[in-house]
Amino acid sequence: MQQRFAQIIHILTRVARFGAGLAFSVLIGAVLIQVIGRTFGRSPVWTEELTRFALLYLATFGAGLALKSGDLVNVDVVCEALPGRGPWRLRLISAVLTAGVCILLASHAVRFVAIGKFQTSPAMTLQMNYVHFSVLLMLALIAVFAVARIVGMLSGTDDGLPNKPQAED
Amino acid sequence: MEVTVLFAVFAGGLIIGVPVAVSLGLSSLSYLLLAGIPLVVMPQKIYAGMDVFVLLSIPGFILAGNLMNSGGITERIIRFANALIGWIRGGLGLTNIAASMLFGGITGTAVADAASIGGVMIPGMKKAGYPPAFAAAVTAASSTVGPIIPPSVPMIIVGSLSGISVGKMFLAGAIPGILMGLAMMVTCYIISVRRGYPRQEWQGFAEIGRSFIGAFWALAMTGLIIYGLLSGFATPTETAVVASVYAFIVGAFVYRAMPVRDLPKVIIDSAISSAGILSLVGFANVFGWILVSERIPQAIASAVLDFTDNKYVVILIINLLLLVVGMFMETIAALIILFVPLLALAEAVGIEPLHFATFAVLNLMIGLTTPPVGVCLFVCANIARLPLTPVVIAILPFLATNIFVLLLVSYIPAIATWLPGLLAQ
Repeated sequence: MQQRFAQIIHILTRVARFGAGLAFSVLIGAVLIQVIGRTFGRSPVWTEELTRFALLYLATFGAGLALKSGDLVNVDVVCEALPGRGPWRLRLISAVLTAGVCILLASHAVRFVAIGKFQTSPAMTLQMNYVHFSVLLMLALIAVFAVARIVGMLSGTDDGLPNKPQAED
Repeated sequence: MEVTVLFAVFAGGLIIGVPVAVSLGLSSLSYLLLAGIPLVVMPQKIYAGMDVFVLLSIPGFILAGNLMNSGGITERIIRFANALIGWIRGGLGLTNIAASMLFGGITGTAVADAASIGGVMIPGMKKAGYPPAFAAAVTAASSTVGPIIPPSVPMIIVGSLSGISVGKMFLAGAIPGILMGLAMMVTCYIISVRRGYPRQEWQGFAEIGRSFIGAFWALAMTGLIIYGLLSGFATPTETAVVASVYAFIVGAFVYRAMPVRDLPKVIIDSAISSAGILSLVGFANVFGWILVSERIPQAIASAVLDFTDNKYVVILIINLLLLVVGMFMETIAALIILFVPLLALAEAVGIEPLHFATFAVLNLMIGLTTPPVGVCLFVCANIARLPLTPVVIAILPFLATNIFVLLLVSYIPAIATWLPGLLAQ
């Protein structure tokens, strides 16, 4: 059971890394098309919008990984200075609060996504629920990685400290 | 009542080590629940906070810096700086500072600067006979010029918060950044003469020329960024992306120090760093919205104005507040939370927003080298394999120097506003 969970998290990590890299590549590509297009006199109208959407999805896929790697910064000077099991307990509480906040907000983000159905983006005429979905997914991914930390800490495979992942792609 | 809960939950979250972004979310959530405001407003505000055009340039500048870093520029920049000023007493300390200034024109974050230059310079200085604590202190202190000299991630954040043009913000940081670097060089020189620290052999103009050619393509990126922003041809986002492509070509094909197969990893790692900042901006937007709707900026402004409406005293109060907050809080988080409330106060006493933004960023950068939460201090002490205390003691003269420059920039607005004003004409 525990092994299956670790496997799922491993796959999710790879998917999120791929998603973050893809979103960033789309952002770079759209901006380059914009620059090259303008240099030669004609720039497509959709590039600015696509760049913004790519940025949102970059944050979506990267935020959960940022929690994992410590790029989602915290102030650890007090909690890590506590004696004994104190730091471990606070890291666990912190992960529980992170998961709790994100799960609660994700449930409300569902409505925000639904609202997007009534709007379309001006240049790409994309239904905005696909764009609003980025916030729901971001909250869900942060929650998943926070839950993974909780499970890891309770099962003894994770100390709850951020860890910089090695290249997996 | 609701506002008290907002601040108490935020402070509590920070103290127990909840990520700053989540602490902002948790406190905003508590406020909204107490105030009976529908929670759907939170995802909507998080989305609106991240969907800001100016923020688009952050991943690009982070990627450009990381690509250059992977492309082996650190040694080239250090060699050039060493050829220029390594022959003066305390030469390696001066080289360290000069390299940080040159590096600052390529990366927009101080931690990258501290880690890259520290990785080479701290062991090098130790080997040459400098005390390890001094080596770590010089590296940490000088790394803070990175986000002041353009490009700069904190300046982009300020642009997104205030609507000030990012190009103007970048230019406003140029002279204060150079001034800060030069002032630290003077301090380093005085300490080195007093303590008899070594100097390098003068290597001749030929070495200056050779090392300049070696570092040219890296240094040219600063020129490319400045040109992109000033020419009006490209937006900051376009400049950042073009700089990334340039950095990749230089690292992979000119310096041949970065294998092409490493590119996906650098892109993904840069995306993760950017996502950490963007999600913080998103959550902070909810918190900021609550502050504005509760008229907290006006309350802070009127509380201070009841006490004094003297512009110079207000500048001092703002600086003291930011220095204290910067000691405990991460720079970007502090900037996002405090910038708008303090801007209202600054404008009320007639401080120009561009001037205020420049000394606020400079102030918070100093916080990167102060205990208890000074990221650059931790990075450098770690590289030098030292506990924090000796590095904190060794950094004190540099802190005093940087605070002196901060006061100069705070009380002489032209240091920040002259260059953007000149080029705007």
